[in-house]
Amino acid sequence: MREHPGSASAPGVTRRQLIAGLLLLPPALAGCALGQGAQAGPDPLIALADAARSDVALAAAAIASTPATAPRIQPLVDARTAHAQALDAEVARLDPHQPRRPPARATARTATLAEVRAAVLASGQSAAAAVLTLPPDRVGLVASVAACCAAYAQVLG
Amino acid sequence: MSDPQPGRAIGIDKAAVDALQDALAAEHAAVWCYTLIPAFLPADQVPAARADADAHRAVRGQLEQTLSDLGVQPVSAQPAYQTPKPVADGPSAAALAVVAETDALAAWRSVVERTGDRSVRQAALDVLTKGTLRCAVWRTVVNDQPAILVFPGSV
Repeated sequence: MREHPGSASAPGVTRRQLIAGLLLLPPALAGCALGQGAQAGPDPLIALADAARSDVALAAAAIASTPATAPRIQPLVDARTAHAQALDAEVARLDPHQPRRPPARATARTATLAEVRAAVLASGQSAAAAVLTLPPDRVGLVASVAACCAAYAQVLG
Repeated sequence: MSDPQPGRAIGIDKAAVDALQDALAAEHAAVWCYTLIPAFLPADQVPAARADADAHRAVRGQLEQTLSDLGVQPVSAQPAYQTPKPVADGPSAAALAVVAETDALAAWRSVVERTGDRSVRQAALDVLTKGTLRCAVWRTVVNDQPAILVFPGSV
């Protein structure tokens, strides 16, 4: 079974809390239960890839609305495009029969830098949550996606 | 509930300890690099370098404490490290900061991959995220594009 144990024995909790404290982890995050349903339902990377495509469309709309923002936002467009491709490839690796997902539709409406920032912040948080439950051979990619998104959320703020 | 490491209920198994030791080695190297770097930087970049040095020292100290509390002897720093390129001026000093940060990112992503323990993963991701921002600052200085790595920690 690939999934990590979703619950722990009492000594495990104690040790994890110890580690969490030593690494200055916010207590609310220590041992929080995100594993529910980790083994059922669609591949969680599909939603992360869709979020990447959505961010690309929103960021492109923001550039179209305010071309002066392009130097700040275009690197995000490129990064999220690469994230979508890498996540799609990982989804396909585990399930070659997974239908290919279409790119997000171009957004006709205008979009602001603040909306782009909020979107990539949320995407990073979703990826960070997934990091806690994914199997070892998939978690590195998602951790990188989470860190990249969080960094953009920071610099676009 | 299956346990991928039967008999290791504490969740911090040898693979995780090894990953933390590798991260500590990278943090030792980063701290060493940041002791060298400020002397070569323009004055306006020195505060950033000092702040980054402090961040690496803090992480290093937490890691050493964590490993000690696990009953493991933390790896020691080497007396000196060989820089990939000579450091002689501001740009080469900033480039060394990029190397130090990039190496640390790889070590921390590896920690995430080498443990199933959520708290360790969360802590490692936090360091990975902060390191991505530090790396972006120095990549900007040396004009590496994009400043923010697309896949931080990926080698």
